[in-house]
Amino acid sequence: MTRTLNLGDSLPEVHVEATPTFVISSAIATRDFQDVHHDRDLAVARGSKDIFVNILTTTGLVQRYVTDWAGPEALVRAVDIRLGAPCYAHDTLKFFGQVVERFDDGVYVVEVVGRTPQGDHVVGTVRIEVPA
Amino acid sequence: MTRVEEEAARIAAAGESAPRLARDPVNLPMVLNWVEAIGDANPVYTDPEAAEKAGHGGLVAPPAMIQVWTMGGLHGQRSSDDPLGAMMAVLDEAGYTSVVATNSDQTYHRYLRQGEHVAVTTRLDDVVGPKRTALGEGWFVTTRNTWYVGDEVVAEMRFRVLKFRPAEKPAAVAEAVPAAVIRPAVNHDTEYFWQGTALGELRIQRCGGCGLLRHPPGPMCPECGATKPTHLVSDGVGEVYSYVVHHHPRVPGRATPFVVALVELDEGVRMLGELTGIAPDDVRVGLPVEVVFTKVDDDLTMPTWRPRAGGGS
Amino acid sequence: MSVSGAAAVVGIGATEFSKDSGRSELRLAAEAVRDALTDAGLEPSDVDGLVSFTMDSNTEIAVARELGIPELTFFSRIHYGGGAACATVQQAAMAVATGMAEVVVCYRAFNERSGHRFGQVQTAAAVGSVDNSWSYPMGLGTPAAMVAMFARRYMHAHGATSEDFGRIAVVDRKHAATNPKAWFHERPITLEEHQSSRWIAEPLRLLDCCQESDGAVAIVVTSAERARDLRRPPAVIRAAAQGSGTDQFTMTSYYRDDLTGLPEMGVVAKALWRQSGLGPSDVDVAVLYDHFTPFVLVQLEELGFCQRGEARHFIADGMLELDGGLPLNPHGGQLGEAYVHGMNGIAEAVRQVRGTAANQVRAVAHVLVTAGTGVPTSGLVLGVD
Repeated sequence: MTRTLNLGDSLPEVHVEATPTFVISSAIATRDFQDVHHDRDLAVARGSKDIFVNILTTTGLVQRYVTDWAGPEALVRAVDIRLGAPCYAHDTLKFFGQVVERFDDGVYVVEVVGRTPQGDHVVGTVRIEVPA
Repeated sequence: MTRVEEEAARIAAAGESAPRLARDPVNLPMVLNWVEAIGDANPVYTDPEAAEKAGHGGLVAPPAMIQVWTMGGLHGQRSSDDPLGAMMAVLDEAGYTSVVATNSDQTYHRYLRQGEHVAVTTRLDDVVGPKRTALGEGWFVTTRNTWYVGDEVVAEMRFRVLKFRPAEKPAAVAEAVPAAVIRPAVNHDTEYFWQGTALGELRIQRCGGCGLLRHPPGPMCPECGATKPTHLVSDGVGEVYSYVVHHHPRVPGRATPFVVALVELDEGVRMLGELTGIAPDDVRVGLPVEVVFTKVDDDLTMPTWRPRAGGGS
Repeated sequence: MSVSGAAAVVGIGATEFSKDSGRSELRLAAEAVRDALTDAGLEPSDVDGLVSFTMDSNTEIAVARELGIPELTFFSRIHYGGGAACATVQQAAMAVATGMAEVVVCYRAFNERSGHRFGQVQTAAAVGSVDNSWSYPMGLGTPAAMVAMFARRYMHAHGATSEDFGRIAVVDRKHAATNPKAWFHERPITLEEHQSSRWIAEPLRLLDCCQESDGAVAIVVTSAERARDLRRPPAVIRAAAQGSGTDQFTMTSYYRDDLTGLPEMGVVAKALWRQSGLGPSDVDVAVLYDHFTPFVLVQLEELGFCQRGEARHFIADGMLELDGGLPLNPHGGQLGEAYVHGMNGIAEAVRQVRGTAANQVRAVAHVLVTAGTGVPTSGLVLGVD
């Protein structure tokens, strides 16, 4: 069932465990073969503390967080994200969200924050359309 | 115009790159790999019945996969007319050798169905800089990708990277922490206050002429005109006169929500400060509070408030 | 010498109101000024005075260069953010009345949403400002939070509630819904939606806070005499005033005896009524600055429409509706139309006087306009000739 959305609704907090397997499998599934997403030695040599999640995965996680909550009939129209602290392997990425705008044509804007121990990894908005 | 700006103008003027076709049409195996890895359980991508029910008329691809279809792959190379690659080369040459992505704004005009074959173009939107950032001096480079199926635009992305010259001290984490708090400006008229907080004293300006107590302080007494400010040390107790529970936007150096209270001290002046040690919902006007000195670093100690012990909170 | 009746607004101009103008602030300023001159039936070469806000990034000379305005004999800027809005017109009226200039254009242009956003924590504002050092470092760093501190005390003293604040937002959005130029055109809200909107700085919710906008507005002022020869019916400046109160700060006047009024607006009100010879009962339309809803209630009290603490009762029974006793912000205000630092409210007042507004109130003789609240501020009374 698709959920009824109201302005101000909070999304339940969701935790994503960014295990090394997660970081690597999602990088490969998004066809991002940059070494910092799968080779820890090279990532460290380049100044990172570990391998880290790639952007296409972050975009996917933000989309998933909203549609898991809104239901399969919600249509995703836009995902706008601003990137902050890296999400390293072994981090827990915690997602928070809230419905912040509503338009008459059934379009809603959900604000999403993805936080790691280093700080905000991603802050963004997802625009979804919910059929009446 | 700097050379970077000249090159940026030239690259931007060249407009869109030629459309580059995705390696594969939209296909179920790649979608399955993606939903497995991302952990996306939305059935419209994998269950024809659910896709039908949601009005898609067949299986669709996750919108957030749009960029995946046109990624260069393991041995991919940028095409010669790729404006982002060209701009990166210009900035590399100018000494801005590091890169970090800052924004990705994707708009999906419609869902893609299995078998559709997308192509992508790129153009350079703008190059802004040089800017001083926490990472070092750099340029913000914004490009726009457009995905087509045939002549139809199906998705767009505005993508921004910071191309920067790494700061002398790499990953200046130690610097980031003090920069995260907003520091007061201190001058002749106000330094006694901050010297006091460092010593654990909450000082209130007292006119050396007429004895008027005043906060915030100033150099000339508005009552008697004297320019002989002195101070007394407050007992540091008072009541909440008003307060705010701050939720948005985020404030440097603080986790939200937090409470800022305007406290009326027993001496009669009012003073702002963060109120801790109490749930935001339990704060009320009239709550008895006392001062706590919170050391930020060697140069700054902030006065903050907490509920007074035995104050009936 | 009185300014009352000496000068008039003869042209208004604006860009579209958006969230991302896609062009420079100077271009927005130049477009709005040109639009206002066209509206007035004047040429850039007629202009000899320009006034703006200190906060505006476009200098008078830059605007003059773009418009091809040859010579300026009067140029001026006003401090204190949105408090400057009506004061720009006051400056223009004084310049015209004293012969310092003949045609003065007031303008405000910014990319406030896509560029520098006032709603974010203004870290830079604290640096170098001793006044701000008593608030920003303590975590009070946004306009919403600064107004919320005031609003909490007002609620405590007078029993006002979040719903009372919400009624202002609802009426503004109702008016915006039928104004095609408004950002929130056809998007009214209910009080329930206000009550379920998220907290920004308690007791303020998202829908208590005005939007953030990109855009520009310009206002052309000349002598009342010359105005009568121009193409539009003049909106005569019956009164124009600035005001600052005792122990005044910018947004944080928390150290006065009482924290439930806006004494600086009281200063403005006294001057407006004295100059115009009018009173609250003569006002046909009120365009009140509405960056945050609580201050609209307090303004009604300071301007003399009702007693202290009574605004929440005053606004009941449709008082602020288009057909009510005191129609409020028929354009939708800054909550509904756009946030252009109060200048779009002056343009609306001119349209109401001309009889050309999207939501035109019937038989308008006098319109009251106010500027930014919580800061040293200003106000205007415009009237038919």
